[in-house]
Amino acid sequence: MDNVFANRLRKKSFSLPEAYGSQFAKRVFQRKDMLFALAALLIFAGLALFAPFISPYDPNAIDLKNKNLGPSEEHILGTDYLGRDLLSRILIGARTSLSIASGVVLVSLFLGTAAGCAAGYYGGLVDESISRVIDIFLSFPGVIFALTIMGALGTGIFNLMLALSIVHWAKYARMMRGQVLSIKKQEFVLSAITGGAGDFYIIRKHIVPNAIATLLVLATIDFGHVILSIATLSFLGIGLPADVPEWGAMLSAGKEFMRTAPYQTIFPGLAITFIVIIFSILGDGMRDILDPNHEGGEID
Amino acid sequence: MILTLFAVCALTFFLMNVIPGGTAELVLKHTLVGLEDSVSKEQVNQISSRYNLDDPLYIQFFRWIKEAIVTGDIGTSYVFKKPVLYLLALRLPATIQLAGVSMVIAILAGVSMGIYSALKENRISDHILRIVTLFGVSMPGFWVALLLILIFSLKLKLAPVAGYGSLENLFLPAAALSLHSVAAVMRVTRISMLETLGQEYIRFAKAKGLPLWKIVSRHALKNAMLPVITVIGFQMGSLLGGAVVIEKIFAWPGIGSLLVDSISARDLPVVQGCVLAIVTMFLFVHFLVDMLYTHLDPRIRYG
Amino acid sequence: MSLLEIRDLSVEFPAGENTVKAVSHVFFNVREGETFGIIGESGSGKSVIGLALLRLLPANANISGAVLFHGQDLFSLRPSELRKIRGKCISLMPQNPAGALNPVLKNRLQIEEVFEERGIDKKEGMKKSLRLMKKLLLKDPEKLCDLYPHQLSGGMRQRLVACMSLSFEPELLIADEPTKGLDPEAKEGAVELFTKIKKEYGKTMLLITHDLDLALEVCDRIAVMYAGEIVELDKASKVLGTPLHPYTKGLVRAQPRNGLVPLSGQSPSRISLPEGCLFHERCRYSGIECFRKHPEMKNHKGGWIRCHFQSLQ
Repeated sequence: MDNVFANRLRKKSFSLPEAYGSQFAKRVFQRKDMLFALAALLIFAGLALFAPFISPYDPNAIDLKNKNLGPSEEHILGTDYLGRDLLSRILIGARTSLSIASGVVLVSLFLGTAAGCAAGYYGGLVDESISRVIDIFLSFPGVIFALTIMGALGTGIFNLMLALSIVHWAKYARMMRGQVLSIKKQEFVLSAITGGAGDFYIIRKHIVPNAIATLLVLATIDFGHVILSIATLSFLGIGLPADVPEWGAMLSAGKEFMRTAPYQTIFPGLAITFIVIIFSILGDGMRDILDPNHEGGEID
Repeated sequence: MILTLFAVCALTFFLMNVIPGGTAELVLKHTLVGLEDSVSKEQVNQISSRYNLDDPLYIQFFRWIKEAIVTGDIGTSYVFKKPVLYLLALRLPATIQLAGVSMVIAILAGVSMGIYSALKENRISDHILRIVTLFGVSMPGFWVALLLILIFSLKLKLAPVAGYGSLENLFLPAAALSLHSVAAVMRVTRISMLETLGQEYIRFAKAKGLPLWKIVSRHALKNAMLPVITVIGFQMGSLLGGAVVIEKIFAWPGIGSLLVDSISARDLPVVQGCVLAIVTMFLFVHFLVDMLYTHLDPRIRYG
Repeated sequence: MSLLEIRDLSVEFPAGENTVKAVSHVFFNVREGETFGIIGESGSGKSVIGLALLRLLPANANISGAVLFHGQDLFSLRPSELRKIRGKCISLMPQNPAGALNPVLKNRLQIEEVFEERGIDKKEGMKKSLRLMKKLLLKDPEKLCDLYPHQLSGGMRQRLVACMSLSFEPELLIADEPTKGLDPEAKEGAVELFTKIKKEYGKTMLLITHDLDLALEVCDRIAVMYAGEIVELDKASKVLGTPLHPYTKGLVRAQPRNGLVPLSGQSPSRISLPEGCLFHERCRYSGIECFRKHPEMKNHKGGWIRCHFQSLQ
């Protein structure tokens, strides 16, 4: 029955990357949860971007007369132990978290893609050695690894980004390697090889475009994880210098006053949870759209 | 596994020795607490040559490895002036207790809730559980811990704020630590269960006239557990990582809090020892997971 | 007396905002002792009928109509009553035996669990099953029981599944695409297998297949399905020997030994069915009437056919 075969062919052409874009946007608009998350993310990013202009107070202005105030009209979310306005600090904190996390995710994505491509595409000794390195990096529990690196490097924004990138790239590399291995087997790559295309051309034109969607899903979900890691390290006092407003550090400072001023622990935590949830919803939604058969799974 | 462990040792050793300032100076500063400023160049050099710290790093590393294998000596704490191994032995039980209890909670609660959620797919209870899961995986562990303290210790006065020893003390840290893993395990269980329930062998089992409970317990569960087991292995990593923060908050005398304190105090041998201990535990759990996986899936066993 | 009577069976699946009409308004009877075949190309809805009979479709399927087994409507039974019928009175031999066997359980467990469920001694049941397996041309049945499904060949799995579905000598056996995905050799084995089942057990069988050779070999009567409807129903030799409906003609002509003339075109989308005859776009005989009016089933020389021009042919 030839039409069955024709059907199958037609279906195959649908998964080519060119068809992704418009199709993908359409599917996103069909999902209310993703739309909601996207809107929330945009608002969050906007707030973070314009934080210096919209925050009611200077986030670092110490006002000892007004320390540990509860939420009031002047200070909507109250003040911390040095009298700094919590709302302003949370807004600026969004900036810190989002920018560091973007940096980490971009660097990891780039490094991971490159390493994964090399390992998956060339195979043999290259694959063997890169895979070994990936395994070693993945055999550390993430937080522990980051902690250790930070312990060696000392606190600081750049050090934090470096440490988290070192921790996170291996995940991307492992996934990219798997993707490359499966894409490499497909006919269009084989025909390109037969056609005499160069390695770099094949990687750039065939492999990366076909693998990137899966990696972007991982990056989206990972974004939330990175934000959690940043907060965790800062909470332990091993992340950022004390003067940088950051949610984890705010929580850590606030916990000393939990008995009398619990809002100092509640609000920054809410901010972290909220942003991580947004990325969770976006990542899961993207995965559902790109791979409807596999709704959820082992990306962790 | 041994090879990975060796590489992990090397990596940690390297990391611990690239710190600015040099090991010798650090050792001195720890010895002369209060007199840090008086540390002189000669003293530093003296220490360096006594402990062969001027040798290239890889030589130092192999010396360290040799010591570790031959005598079990993996260094001495700068701060406590005790062998690292002794400190680890002292702290290990607490961490194993906390992580172990949390893991058990995560598996029991996560798997059972995941199955329930899958069987009630798209009903109200499923939706509620899914939202709870979303929060569970998104809330930072330390925040959960603080909220639990706030509610159960400070407001309701049901549990002690911190401490170690009795069952009461275990309650809050284990709850805070396991929440994330419960949610993660439940999520995978639900998805995996749903996927399994859609398989043809489940339909055939129904066609054979088997009752639902038997289909779930005999035909679905074992298949659905395969991805769950993998995730449980990975969760062990996040549990050990989370334990660091939780131990710190609840003053739990485990390896995690030792690690954080040592990093703050730059007590490098101890940091190294802690990392090694944690990675070893993690790898061991992975090893167990692999064994279990092979045991459950005959397709792997008989290739 | 008909053992199974299907009245106005329709099945729809929701697909986003649309519904896919998998089966629409199907009527037929299966008489006691006969082998009734349903043929049609992939996606014609034939397998859905088989699953609908035992209420094995996913929960989101919309099923209407009635299925009478011994005059009792299967759709109105409670789950516990239905369970007593499943596997014992009506059993299903699923398509794709590789998927129907649980990969992590040993074959023995999967054979004997039905006996356990019905309160029959496991050993007794196993003895019977082993005899059956020998009869169904399986070598070394004892040894085979201690293996896992993935360790068997495709043909062996097929026989094993057949044996499982015959455990209780059911009154009605529904065989769903038994030759799908089998290599030619195993396919021949399947023809042999079904002839054997038919001869030895003489039970009523509902054979769902796209394999015309198998259908011709085994079936007494055949219904041809196209786009969720029955378009022709008659004795097997008549349907496949002197087909009347243009679609059946096309199917027969597409057989390798008849010249492998493919049917041009595709089945219509099942979300928005065309007006008129569902086959008119691909039909070489279609006239104006075929575009306008949906043909009804009409009696023609003892068989049934859904075509405006049956008398012309």
